[in-house]
Amino acid sequence: LSGPESQDHLVGEFGRIAVEFLRKGTNPKIYEGAARKLSVDAETVQHGVEGLMYLLTESSKLMISEVDFQDSVLVLGFTEELNHLLQQLYLENRKEIRHILGELTPSLPHYHNLEWRLDVQLASRALRQQVKPTVTMKLHLEESGGDKSAKVLQTDPATLMHLIQELEKALAELKTTHCRRILRNIK
Amino acid sequence: MRFRFCGDLDCPDWVLAEISTLAKISSVKMKLLCVQVLMDLLGEGIDYDKVSKLTADAKFENGDIKASVAVLTFILSSAAKHDVDSESLSSELQQLGLPKEHTTGLCKSYEDKHIALQEKLRESSLRLGRLEVVSWRVDYTLSSSELQEVNEPTVQLCLQTQGAETGHTETTIVSVSADKFRVLLTELKQAQAMMNALQ
Repeated sequence: LSGPESQDHLVGEFGRIAVEFLRKGTNPKIYEGAARKLSVDAETVQHGVEGLMYLLTESSKLMISEVDFQDSVLVLGFTEELNHLLQQLYLENRKEIRHILGELTPSLPHYHNLEWRLDVQLASRALRQQVKPTVTMKLHLEESGGDKSAKVLQTDPATLMHLIQELEKALAELKTTHCRRILRNIK
Repeated sequence: MRFRFCGDLDCPDWVLAEISTLAKISSVKMKLLCVQVLMDLLGEGIDYDKVSKLTADAKFENGDIKASVAVLTFILSSAAKHDVDSESLSSELQQLGLPKEHTTGLCKSYEDKHIALQEKLRESSLRLGRLEVVSWRVDYTLSSSELQEVNEPTVQLCLQTQGAETGHTETTIVSVSADKFRVLLTELKQAQAMMNALQ
């Protein structure tokens, strides 16, 4: 990306494309359109944009300070205006880029909805005159991609009580001093 | 404070907050809003244009409109769920600060529709693997590769059910011999007699 002073204009354009690509994914047609508009060839545009995307994601990922960013960019041998432009691009977009990067972690299916039903089994083919209560549950789950699934579970009241007690113990953990200490330090 | 329409539990904070939002529109408009919410609960869909018009005078923002619909949905469906009579509902809502005219309008709508509402809630209760269609066919096997003269009737049963976990339609085809089918039929008739005795 070294050359005449029109670099600033080029970088501004590349920067805009880079951020758009980080938001919505790459689109090779854009390279050709930009190449024509800026009178350079498409491959140069692609390398430029990809280089900028890498610079932005790495800087945002590590949340580096302005000083460190300047020091890192200095080695590339650009003009001072260009360095400043790149820094502006980084600072303005890093919060959004960090948010996008945060969504890339693998995630487990999470709770969406729970339907339940209380039944009493009165008879079966093998045995009449029974009284057997059961709780039937349908646990609806959702993945980060939007895929939905459901699991059907059945239990007797005693096991359900035990399940509730275990879950309440898990919630109570949040209130212990150990947990509070850690949460305080993270925030 | 325990409320019957909340299932003998405390009233959720958000419900308390949004009741004061409801008090901002006139009682006439609130009754019309109830009608819309009831239509939605009964599966007839809600007309958001009408809802916006009803809340326009009070200058409700999007958030307020959604909150009003949500609180009315909660009150009406929760009261139906716990089979609360309209007088108790009226007294509990007034305790929570809903003005008398608004409460009267709401409870009248509730009284008109609460049986239909309970029916709808009963229908949407959890059911696994609903049986949708049963079709059958009786065949008579004349001959097979194993035995030249078979001469046996069989029943082919096609059961269309709603998958318990997926919710999609699943088809099961079973072929049953005459003897097995007789046993199946007897057992099912016994189960049916038991079900009838309970109703």
